[in-house]
Amino acid sequence: MKLTLHIWRQPNTEADGEFKTYELPDVSEHMSFLEMLDVLNEKLISEGQEPVAFDHDCREGICGTCSLMINGQAHGPDRETTACQLHMRRFKDGDEIWIEPWRAKAFPVIKDLVVNRSAFDRIMQAGGYVSVNTGNAPDANSTIVPKQNADLAFDAATCIGCGACVAACKNASAMLFLSAKVSQLALLPQGQPERKSRAINMLKQMDEEGFGNCTNTNECEAACPAGISVENIARLNRQYVSAVLTSRD
Amino acid sequence: MSWVTNAIKSSIGRKFLVACTGLLLCGFLVAHLIGNLLMYIGPEVYNNYAHTLHSQEYLIKIAEVGLLVLFIAHLWLAIEASGRNRAARQTRYAVKKSKLPNRKIPFAITPENYMLVSGIIVLIFLCIHLGDFTFNLTMPEKIEGLEPYDKAIVIMRSPISAIAYVIGSLLLMWHLWHGATSMFQTLGLRHPKYDGLTQNFGPVFATIIGLGFATFPIYAWLVPYNPPAPNPDAPEAHGEPDSHSMNTIPAWQPASDRNELPG
Ligand code: SF4
Ligand code: FES
Repeated sequence: MKLTLHIWRQPNTEADGEFKTYELPDVSEHMSFLEMLDVLNEKLISEGQEPVAFDHDCREGICGTCSLMINGQAHGPDRETTACQLHMRRFKDGDEIWIEPWRAKAFPVIKDLVVNRSAFDRIMQAGGYVSVNTGNAPDANSTIVPKQNADLAFDAATCIGCGACVAACKNASAMLFLSAKVSQLALLPQGQPERKSRAINMLKQMDEEGFGNCTNTNECEAACPAGISVENIARLNRQYVSAVLTSRD
Repeated sequence: MSWVTNAIKSSIGRKFLVACTGLLLCGFLVAHLIGNLLMYIGPEVYNNYAHTLHSQEYLIKIAEVGLLVLFIAHLWLAIEASGRNRAARQTRYAVKKSKLPNRKIPFAITPENYMLVSGIIVLIFLCIHLGDFTFNLTMPEKIEGLEPYDKAIVIMRSPISAIAYVIGSLLLMWHLWHGATSMFQTLGLRHPKYDGLTQNFGPVFATIIGLGFATFPIYAWLVPYNPPAPNPDAPEAHGEPDSHSMNTIPAWQPASDRNELPG
């Protein structure tokens, strides 16, 4: 199929970016979206032009590195699918595709479609861990976890930290990410000792990074490739308020 | 107390307070609507209610100050939050499309995307409403000395007020459509068992409140009503020295009923 691509090109963080248009005459419907970009880059390199910079690593939907706004939708049109798992059969001959980086003050563009997501790392460093040794395999039998809590914690833990929730949110809020990270530990016994300081410190870090507030529009949940539910945000709100009211720090 | 200021400044703390103040304001709306609905039972009942309410001087003062504080806090926190939200995305997307299953238009005109706008319009409407009814600014000569029921009808029979009140009520409905459901999520009150209830609460509550208030100007236009003659020198014209005093019960009672009042 023949495609027209409008791609955001920005040489570095400080420079102004702009859209450049590229024609790709012969795209196979079996390619993944990132393979299509690989083909474009080979073409650009052979023509002596600068290839398009975009993030990717596993290309199987588990690492959360790929991060493309495709026709205004984070990770493209499919639900619960990362950009690397999106296939060109989803498009048709003659389509125009707009490709942009995640746009948020807290995610500055490094180059073209690559953004700096270290803000997420700093949020994790502020409390997204347990400091206790959780023991060896046999110890699992002595720490009772209700099955339902294990399932909910596991669901929250499937967040791959891609940032699509921030990209899709009209307020560039990181609440879905934060709520997943707080919930996965808040639901388990190992997470209890640091429950309060975790909620307070991680939220403080999120605010300092310049993400917006949650206004409950649910766009994050719809864009999340891991299917993280906004129910986690309600849990985060509970965790935070009870931590603020009862913490001794 | 720095933990308090820190909490209020935090994004969740701020939204939590917006939800709490919103919830309390919803309580006020319910009480106000129920009070107003007494108009439909009859002028006497409504007048009776209005005078009894206004005779509670201290309670009224406390309620007025409380409501003012709630309004200012609700608005101020929301404006602050939305300033932060705008700052959080400096470059806009060239193309933006929702991934919500039932929403295809980019940033559709839905209540949740226009909360600040609808809130500010409701505030303007509120100022008009207070100017009309509390401070008697809009048509002082026409409503001078009128009983509460007559006053309400006279004010709402002015076309500008009627349109303002219908639009104001509908915008309030729009605002509550999202707000009255969203507050549960913000307050952390969420559980699969009650999701259906909380999801529907906002739209149902908004419809009752919004349409409820919108009926009054429509009623004012539909009821056959002879406007009482303008009453510039009200006290004398009534022939009773205390006829416009709110605190003396016999004065506001329709003449025919006065004899039946105890005491
Ligand atoms: S919550 Fe979903 S969208 Fe947000 S970072 Fe995690 S996986 Fe990505
Ligand atoms: S490249 Fe790893 S999730 Fe897409």
